[in-house]
Amino acid sequence: MSRLLFFQFGLLLSAVLLNPCQLIGQEEITADHLAFFEKKIRPVLVSHCYQCHSKNSKSLKGGLALDTLEGIREGGDSGHAVVPGDVEGSVLMEAIRYESMEMPPKQKLSQAVINDFQKWIEMGAPDPRKGAGLIKREIDFHDAKKHWSFQAIQRTEPPSVENEAWPKNSVDQFILAKLESKGLRPVSDASRQVLIRRLYYDLIGLPPSSEQLQAAMEDDSPDAVENLVDRLLDSPQFGERWGRHWLDVVRYAESNGRERNIVYPTAWRYRDYVIDAFNNDTPFNRFIQEQLAGDLLPGAGDNEAIATGFLAIGPKLLNEGNREAFVMDLVDDQIDVTTRAFMGLTVSCARCHDHKFDPIPTAEYYSMAGIFRSTRTLYGTKKQQGNRQGSSLVALEIPEAKKSAAAKQKKQSELLKDELRAVQKSIVKLQAKTRELANRKTNDKQYKPDAKQSAALRKSLSNARKKSSGLQKQIKNLGENDIEFMAMGVQEGKVADSPIYVRGEVTGRKGTASRGFLTILESDLEQRLIENAQSGRKELADWIIARENPMTARVAVNRVWHHLFGNGIVRTVDNFGATGESPTHPELLDFLAIGFQEQGWSIKRLIRRLVLSRTYQLAADYSQVNYEIDPDNFLLWRHKSQRLDAEALRDAMLLASGDLDLSPAQGSPVSKLRGEFGRGNSTAVAKAASQHRSIYLPIVRNAVPDVLKLFDFAEPSILVGERPVTTVPTQALYFLNSELVTSQCDRLARRLLAKTSMDDAERINFAYQSVLSRAATDSEVKRARKYIDKLADDLSVGDEDRSQLMAWSGFCQILFGSAEFRYVD
Amino acid sequence: MTFEFSRRNVLKTLSCGFGYMALAGLTTEAAEDSQNPLTPKAPHFPATAKRVIFLCMRGGPSHVDTFDYKPQLLKDSGKKAPNQKSRKLMGSPWSFQQYGESGLPISDLFPHLGKHADDLCLINGMAGEVPNHPQAYLKLHTGSFRFVRPSVGSWALYGLGTENQDLPGFITLNPETRVGGAQNYGSSFLPAYYQGTAIGQINQSLANARFGNIKNARFSESLQRQQLDLLQEMNQELLKKKEVSSELEGVIESYELAFRMQNAVPTLMDVSNESKETLEMYGIGVRETDNFGRQCLLARRFAESGVRFIELCHGNWDQHGNLKGKLESNCRATDRPIAALLSDLKQRGMLKDTLVVWGGEFGRTPHVKRKDGRDHNATGFSTWMAGGGVQGGQRVGATDEYGIAAVENKMNFHDLHATMLHTLGLDHTKLTYRYAGRDFRLTDVYGRVVKEILA
Repeated sequence: MSRLLFFQFGLLLSAVLLNPCQLIGQEEITADHLAFFEKKIRPVLVSHCYQCHSKNSKSLKGGLALDTLEGIREGGDSGHAVVPGDVEGSVLMEAIRYESMEMPPKQKLSQAVINDFQKWIEMGAPDPRKGAGLIKREIDFHDAKKHWSFQAIQRTEPPSVENEAWPKNSVDQFILAKLESKGLRPVSDASRQVLIRRLYYDLIGLPPSSEQLQAAMEDDSPDAVENLVDRLLDSPQFGERWGRHWLDVVRYAESNGRERNIVYPTAWRYRDYVIDAFNNDTPFNRFIQEQLAGDLLPGAGDNEAIATGFLAIGPKLLNEGNREAFVMDLVDDQIDVTTRAFMGLTVSCARCHDHKFDPIPTAEYYSMAGIFRSTRTLYGTKKQQGNRQGSSLVALEIPEAKKSAAAKQKKQSELLKDELRAVQKSIVKLQAKTRELANRKTNDKQYKPDAKQSAALRKSLSNARKKSSGLQKQIKNLGENDIEFMAMGVQEGKVADSPIYVRGEVTGRKGTASRGFLTILESDLEQRLIENAQSGRKELADWIIARENPMTARVAVNRVWHHLFGNGIVRTVDNFGATGESPTHPELLDFLAIGFQEQGWSIKRLIRRLVLSRTYQLAADYSQVNYEIDPDNFLLWRHKSQRLDAEALRDAMLLASGDLDLSPAQGSPVSKLRGEFGRGNSTAVAKAASQHRSIYLPIVRNAVPDVLKLFDFAEPSILVGERPVTTVPTQALYFLNSELVTSQCDRLARRLLAKTSMDDAERINFAYQSVLSRAATDSEVKRARKYIDKLADDLSVGDEDRSQLMAWSGFCQILFGSAEFRYVD
Repeated sequence: MTFEFSRRNVLKTLSCGFGYMALAGLTTEAAEDSQNPLTPKAPHFPATAKRVIFLCMRGGPSHVDTFDYKPQLLKDSGKKAPNQKSRKLMGSPWSFQQYGESGLPISDLFPHLGKHADDLCLINGMAGEVPNHPQAYLKLHTGSFRFVRPSVGSWALYGLGTENQDLPGFITLNPETRVGGAQNYGSSFLPAYYQGTAIGQINQSLANARFGNIKNARFSESLQRQQLDLLQEMNQELLKKKEVSSELEGVIESYELAFRMQNAVPTLMDVSNESKETLEMYGIGVRETDNFGRQCLLARRFAESGVRFIELCHGNWDQHGNLKGKLESNCRATDRPIAALLSDLKQRGMLKDTLVVWGGEFGRTPHVKRKDGRDHNATGFSTWMAGGGVQGGQRVGATDEYGIAAVENKMNFHDLHATMLHTLGLDHTKLTYRYAGRDFRLTDVYGRVVKEILA
């Protein structure tokens, strides 16, 4: 996070006056010096500086008070403002000379005044002022702890309700009790058809096929819904749906983005890891451990190594020349994603100054930074132009069967490299010879070069060059497989505490911070970290997943709730701090968080519990009475109708047209690329058509496929727990005119027309079922037939079959384009 | 969490909402209570410019050969450079003339633009941080290269909305695909509708560039309308069933807008109905000026139609070698079109409320590496502004005698952004967006409105 000086101080911070620890300024002041100060210095300070830098200023800027001797000597966040006798060491001089900061900001002081200050410092900065010492803002942790999310998770029994017949499970009791207390009544239950469609999209991100729909509609056993839910949870498509939600949160992408968009050809392994983790229902606490410290877990293998890709896939300033600056930015990304994804805390706001709203001091930011600085991040971009910070990758286990092939390949590559070196040497020699002849010619006018010799030389040189480029090509081709058993991830590095950098600038070192966590969420794990010689990632993970940590389970449960209900119980899903929103149902949130912890941190069980509640199964109907009281549906009197996300839109179209390949894609097209995206490699890869589910589309930063981008795909360079939902004309243009939509319409039309056993009415009905997951009404059938017939007539392309196909395709386009398709009730 | 139990809240959803304002097409007044985030919004204070045309010269145009006249550099040409002893200073190979009543010195590379000297405010004291293309280019566009941040155009659109709902509010013509690529016109954490719409890409002919999905390859307009009618009938039925749904209203409206855009955008991009004189003035049809001429003409047409922020990109200005040949051809390609744009805006009475900004990510060294090439120079370079609220005919800021570093009225990109927003009536310290728990600004905690530039 960058510097923020102008924002209001939060309520959590209180200004306290500290007595200066050491008394400075007991020097004798001569009368001359005193006069100089009073005449030349004090008036300038008063009129140009005190407004922001005194105990009377509204908010003390930069932690610097200039109205007392102690304040001016001790300085603020940037260091000592005035060092007696040391002009260059006095930050104040830098500032008024406009060298670093530019102070006063409105206008530079005149050169004469600047000279006065220099003179004053040179004479020892005599200063008669006394006062209450310097002002420091300290965090009152006791007070800060009162914020709801820092308080321990409370065990509460589900409340009693008046309408006892209504709740299906305890979730409903919490919801209904609140509705009743506000005088609201929930709307009616969703119809079976609406519920089936909702469950399919919510759990696996796909609509039911017309056969699945029919089967589910006809199942009238009492536990039909439960059985459907279990089937969906067990389906391999579940992980593809819920894994994608997680990829949004962890800023997953297959390239660096930023100023040099260098590809990450092995990033897809992390994607697949996430999908598998959700399908296997890896306990969420274990899931966190694996991503932060998989390599340090007992019995760690490839799976755990790949999991740490979580820390490696972020965007980086690869072209940064200053290694320390690069490392600190990398660490910042890791702190940010770790604390926000798992705990809803914006710790990286404390990089440059104490957090303005939450009880997170800068020193503690650097305590966490030390953990990641002691970690080696392996992201696998090579040093080249535009990438000053190269790195290797994590080596995975090579399967026995592939070992000999890999070894052979390695050997072959080495042989070729040797050969290349020899050829390059000969080129250098030949070039030297050529130069020598040329020099001789210039120096010795009499010298007549031997034409034959020159020609031979030229020929050898050109042959050698050809050979060299041929060899290079061969090596490159072999190199395509160089990453076959590699992954992005982290390993232990050199273990050391981090310096604290004033204002986050690597030039402004001010002490070090011992590795550790946050005081506000105190834990005895910190002791273990200090005793342990490792980076502390393992302890960090354990601290995050500790039962007593009030953030983690709440944040996780809230994310799941958000995806199922359209809003979180805490609507700011990534921010549980002071600037986030409060929970609408705090008791329910805690009830679910405790249940989550007690039931093995199982995401699937949590989802099951939520979707089997009556609250989830409500209709999305309007009710004027409720609407007037609670238009934003904070109290959940109805289900929120949700726009399909980009992936579901595309996948559903492909499914309806029969084009969707449900098998998982192998790897990624990006794995074939190396270096900067679009430089020496084709960007077409990112746009190539695919029949796999959208989660397998290549995600190159700044080159996200149109179909995803247009429908509010999560910006892959930042953490996105909640995608925005926009409705803009470019989306409508996409449905009206895009290649993807029209080709899917054609395929669906072909599919319909191929159903020779059906008549037109049945075909129309089948189309409704495939696209909208419901049967068409009689009048809809009639209307559709009329439209199709007329369109076929109007088109009259001469070829009857073709007119028919286009007319049916035009009709399918209406279904895909309809708001009913785009929204799930 | 807030509960709002007001009558207004209910009315907001029951009324025609978003659709109503949007249907009106060109709307000029701020529409309170409208749900469309792109309807015009009132600025913080009266604006001097309604829109921006940013002429982005990618690669770092040499300031000492164009807009920063350095007689001392010419005198000392061939001497050792004071900051780089191994290199020699090179005076500009081009002479400078004084133009207009103001007598602004402008290089012979820009004879046509010179005629507009009295409208130009040359900003000679620009200073950046990093003399690397990607970082500087991102900083120029988003104010930051360390973090992914919204583009200046997105901020303008967020602050003011746009005047024509049939068109995107932020358009970028022939944008650069590297050095940050789409991030340079992306909206980052601002909602996606604030992002720039790209047409064409750098170094490709705009004559063949297309606006994505704007044309239906299959149906005639009337057949498509029939298709849309049935689609909208379905949508209306659903809306009726739902009773109240601003989302569905939004979908319905977006289709009508899209349908109109299909005509509006290609019509606007088709310059064939412009007079022969106009096309000639922009240099369209002449090989070297054709492409940038089209960009400039389109910029005028978009500006006229109410687009809020238009960026044009021209590359490549990175002359490490062959300065003489390449810089000259760049200037020939852009001089006449830019001059035409200014004349055209002026004769239509639009220059007074259109801010035109010219500039690149940095300038070039006064000394030379090879015989005929200049390197990156971020410590001092030039941009210029003209139009809405800008005091023309003056130079603001200055570099040292050779053009190495800014020494007077130093201005960085935050200051440039603050000043641009100011002309639009936006206070850069108040234009904030809350993301990840805090308020963000285009200018972060920096930025100074450079009053000297303003009329």
